[in-house]
Amino acid sequence: MTTTSTPMRSFAQAASAEEIAVPSRVVQIDGLVALKIIKHCKECMPALVTGQLLGLDIGSILEVTNCFPFPSRGGEEEEEVEADGANYQLEMMRCLREVNVDNNTVGWYQSTYMGSFQTVELIETFLNYQENIKRCVCIIYDPLRSGQGVLALKALKLSDSFMELYRTQVFTGEKLREKNMTWKDIFEEIPVKISNSVLVSALMTELESDAPASQCDFDRLVLSTNPFMEKNLEFLIECMDDLSMEQQKFQYYYRNLSRQQVQQQSWLQKRRAENVARRLSGEELLPEEDPSNPIFKTLPEPSRLDSYLITNQIANYCGQVNGFAGQSLSKMYLMDAFHQD
Amino acid sequence: MESRFWTHQVSSDTESDDDQSEVDEEEAPIVGDGGTGGAGSKYLTRASLSDSDESDEKQRVVRSAKDKRFEEMAVTTEQMKNQMKINDWVQLQESFDRLNKQLEKVIRVTESDTVPRLYIKGLVMLEDFLAQTLANKEAKKKMSSSNAKSLNYMKQKLKKNNKLYEVEIEKFRLNPESEADAEQEDEDDDDLDSGGDFSDEEPVAIAGGYSDSDEEGEEGEEEGEGGWETKKSKKDSMMDKQFKRDPSEISWDMVDKKLKEIIAARGRKGTDRAEQVEQLSYLARVAKTPAQKLEVMVHVVSAQFDVNPSLNTHMPIPVWKKCVQNVLIILDILAQYPNIIMDETSDLEMENETQKGADHDGPIHVWGNVVAFLERIDDELFKSLQCIDPHTKEYVERLRDEPLFMVLAQNVQRYVERLYDMKAAARVALRCVEHVYYKPQEVYEAMRKLAEIRASPDAATAETEAAADGDDDFDEEAKHVKLPAEVKGPPSFVVTPEIVPRTPSFPNLSRLLMDQLVGTIYKHGDERTKARAMLCDIYHHAISDEFHTARDLLLMSHLQDSVQHMDISTQILFNRAMAQLGLCAFQASLVTEAHGCLSELYASGRVKELLAQGVAQSRYHEKNPEQEKLERRRQMPFHMHINLELLEAVHLICAMLLEVPNMAANAHDIKRKLISKPFRRLLDINERQTFTGPPENVRDHVMAATHALGKGTWQKAVEVIQGLDVWKLLTKRDFVLEMLKSKIQEEALRTYLFTYSSFYDALSLDQLMTMFELPEAHVHSIVSKMMIAEELHASWDQPTRSIVTHNVEPSRLQALAAQFAEKLTVLVESNERAFDARTGGGGLEGMSMGRRNKDGQDYANVASGRRGGDFSGGNRDRQGSYSAYNSGGGRSNYGTGRGGQSRGGRGNAGGSGYYRDQRAGQVGARNNLGYQSTRYQDAYSSVGRTPYQTGPASSTGANRGAQADATGRMVSLTHGGTRPSAHF
Repeated sequence: MTTTSTPMRSFAQAASAEEIAVPSRVVQIDGLVALKIIKHCKECMPALVTGQLLGLDIGSILEVTNCFPFPSRGGEEEEEVEADGANYQLEMMRCLREVNVDNNTVGWYQSTYMGSFQTVELIETFLNYQENIKRCVCIIYDPLRSGQGVLALKALKLSDSFMELYRTQVFTGEKLREKNMTWKDIFEEIPVKISNSVLVSALMTELESDAPASQCDFDRLVLSTNPFMEKNLEFLIECMDDLSMEQQKFQYYYRNLSRQQVQQQSWLQKRRAENVARRLSGEELLPEEDPSNPIFKTLPEPSRLDSYLITNQIANYCGQVNGFAGQSLSKMYLMDAFHQD
Repeated sequence: MESRFWTHQVSSDTESDDDQSEVDEEEAPIVGDGGTGGAGSKYLTRASLSDSDESDEKQRVVRSAKDKRFEEMAVTTEQMKNQMKINDWVQLQESFDRLNKQLEKVIRVTESDTVPRLYIKGLVMLEDFLAQTLANKEAKKKMSSSNAKSLNYMKQKLKKNNKLYEVEIEKFRLNPESEADAEQEDEDDDDLDSGGDFSDEEPVAIAGGYSDSDEEGEEGEEEGEGGWETKKSKKDSMMDKQFKRDPSEISWDMVDKKLKEIIAARGRKGTDRAEQVEQLSYLARVAKTPAQKLEVMVHVVSAQFDVNPSLNTHMPIPVWKKCVQNVLIILDILAQYPNIIMDETSDLEMENETQKGADHDGPIHVWGNVVAFLERIDDELFKSLQCIDPHTKEYVERLRDEPLFMVLAQNVQRYVERLYDMKAAARVALRCVEHVYYKPQEVYEAMRKLAEIRASPDAATAETEAAADGDDDFDEEAKHVKLPAEVKGPPSFVVTPEIVPRTPSFPNLSRLLMDQLVGTIYKHGDERTKARAMLCDIYHHAISDEFHTARDLLLMSHLQDSVQHMDISTQILFNRAMAQLGLCAFQASLVTEAHGCLSELYASGRVKELLAQGVAQSRYHEKNPEQEKLERRRQMPFHMHINLELLEAVHLICAMLLEVPNMAANAHDIKRKLISKPFRRLLDINERQTFTGPPENVRDHVMAATHALGKGTWQKAVEVIQGLDVWKLLTKRDFVLEMLKSKIQEEALRTYLFTYSSFYDALSLDQLMTMFELPEAHVHSIVSKMMIAEELHASWDQPTRSIVTHNVEPSRLQALAAQFAEKLTVLVESNERAFDARTGGGGLEGMSMGRRNKDGQDYANVASGRRGGDFSGGNRDRQGSYSAYNSGGGRSNYGTGRGGQSRGGRGNAGGSGYYRDQRAGQVGARNNLGYQSTRYQDAYSSVGRTPYQTGPASSTGANRGAQADATGRMVSLTHGGTRPSAHF
């Protein structure tokens, strides 16, 4: 994870710094692609948008060399839109092939709002892509956070173990323990590297103004903290609600379970007593299990997927709040120092 | 289409197929293409001959929808007949189901609610056949299993079904040949006749008939029976005959014999009920001994009750009046001969008991139950008031019969008290109470006057009249009921003087009467009687503006805990009492209390139903006719209604007065604390309107006032509210209007401070005074109260007469953070519990235990509440229930705050969240009532102070308790869920 973790550097600096290769898999994004994504997401800001990523998968590096946006969905009928979307995608690919651009799909990008992207839908989309493309990636861009002078660009993929588990659709506590999976293991973040061709780099140097700071640097100095914190808190509260709802589900489940166990016990005792009596009278013993009895029906354990996702989401928000608060504090100190002068 | 016809011809009784074509036919026009024409003709041919195959001809027949439906029915009945012949129950069952379906269609088409005769005929046919088959055990055994199964099914189904049409079937059986409509009219006529004129002509006939058959001696019962029938038509000739006969010739035996004969005929088919009454009343006149007269009179009264067989219609009014008089005569006899004992345990078979004459020394036992008569008479009065259109003169006339009933009740009560049958006395007293409790003093006064006016002329003429008595301002009918009795009938053999008073004695104040009656009931009544009496008492206190007394009664009796286990009519009474209590609180300018009383009624939006003042139209589920009938039987007569508009106005205004400042106080999180859910809903609806016209109904007015109040223009709010029409229904109109104005001013001030205080550094007291036109002391007290309650972060600056605000209102971020922290604690709590469960601490167990405890508490409440209703004793019981109530209350009170905040979290079951709130709210309201009642506390200070004080004081403990309750409350959810419905 590179760009996002060092937000204090300017875009250009960040871009140049990332030239150093990272040992594991890396998503290498063309500068042009990054800009296209940013532009698309920013323009449609309140609405969340998606688009296709095109590129090449070379060894440990996934190169994203091009992308195109999906048309944003209106309030029309679902099916129609879906059909249209597919058609558009195919058409677009065909066109791109004709002009000899990379047209190998490697994943998709989507915009998000304050990092609230960890949903079941995302996982499902991912699995859909996974079917055709072995190593696909999802790039998530948060236009709001970027407004604060940070390039909020992330590349995600589902961890292999999770995918395996998801296919079985069993998310009981036992299974998860068996697989040794925690909530952290759902998504894997892949380091993003932004690369430019030499020519572009040259042009960039040429274009770089002599001013000591860019607009982006000024953005970073904004002192207003409230809206961002409020939003985050609101999301957090929502998450807590969801989480306690999940918790309730479990409580309910456990209560039922214990009740059922008590019932089973009493039934068993009765049966045993009866068997003793039967043995004495020389009759045949009754089986100690009766599958037809409703108290022996196993209760379905509620899925843990949701709580995992919510936990992930909470961690995400907390991270954001943490990061933001840290920055804000240093800014405050800075301001304080200025004032004292 | 074609193939279907074909199969149809092949097997004319494949029913599923048949059904299909039927449906099809319904959709198609009556005269359609060939296909539908064929379908029509199919029915025709089937009606005539089921095996002919002439559907090729495709006759086209045009019929009206009505005819068609009837024809369908006819076909089905025809089929049923055939199936009966071959004893095919499987088919019969299907035919029966179809018949029912067709009935619905017919009723829809004819738009009447009388059941077609054809249908009844089918039912009767089926019933008979069923009985026949069941009787034939042999054949039953031989049946195939599916056939037997269908037979059983039919047995049950038919029983259930026929219950609905009992009356019609009865009629049909009586008179299988006649035309339905004609019969209907006949029946009506009969009823009228029996009400109006049987007393002037028929007695003659009967008397004649009686003497006639007597002359013929023992020629046989059948002939005697026949004699009754024939003589009736020639009553003129019988007149002389009857006069020729000297009543003194009639012996005791003859009377006894005839009486037994008549009684045996009772309830039998073909017995004219009105005629029976006449025969009996003649017998009463010729009865030899007082005991015999009494016996006969008892039967007369029973026969009179029989005149009207239906449960839904009321007894004809003249009959009712006669009936009252008869019961009075019974009482006369009983008073005159104290040695005659009337009870239900007396053996009916005991021969010759009544032969003992007036001079007999020992006790004479006669069968009968005066209290039951009284109750039946009361029921009939109630029913007649339900049925009569309240906007007619008839209704008023009917209402004037109430004193008459009161006389009877008082006499009966005196009688049973003489016998020391206090249980019965309590029952009678309850009947009286239920006639008095809803009357405010003015109405009561009017009733008393009416009774007095009647009494004075009556006193003058009383001596001249023998058996039958009459009040002069009885209507015409009563007069000629009495007249012929004297002129034509033979003088009564046993003369009964009027011993029991014929005029009611009412104390000056209705309160006195109530106290007297209710006192008896509390001492001697059973559970239900006491509960009802208590509710009536509460109601009566409420209409006489004694809110505190009424409330204390309600709280001490714990009726609100136990009422959901009572019968529906008591629940209705409870609802009525609550409504009246709310109105009373409002008039005493106790807004919170009023809202507490009324909010529950309005929570479900079925006020009409809850108060039994009209059948609510429910959009979502259709009621079946039986339910509807039941509901109609529960309705309150019009004169007992509580004005719904007034009630709604009071409820909404109370909600407004509480909710507007509340909304202003919680502007951050508007959904956080709801006081009145229905009010919020109305407000939402109102705000969603694009255009709001001038207010029309109560709701509109209140909504307009709410908007004005929210904006701070209280003058407009006052104007709108005072413009409501309903205020003229109140006796203390001016006081209420004045009260409303000052309340609105106060709340406007509070709203203003909530909304705008954060924008001020300081506020001048004088400014506030002029803005809200309130006196200084008032403003001062309101502002101070808000400061104390920490609703307003400010302090007084006395020298400058101003309020200095400290703007410590949390910013949005802080508020959110606080909210978040709260959520976290909830989560941590439940995590801990889950952990406990895992480590074997039994956290979940404990949780369920907690639930059980709470449940237990509820039951304890109920149980002890019930015992607590016994006022004469059981102090310890009351203490128990009191503490239980308080701990429960304290906890849920905490829960109101909490429940509101964490609603989102637990609101996963949206509906249940609603109920929880509702319940919590109502508990809160109850607590409010409790806490402010000094009398209540005093009353118990010696008994149960400690639990009361420790409850709220150990709030940390309560904290945990409440949270531990979080799931525990799920029980009370369902509990609360059933509650509103349980009230009905």
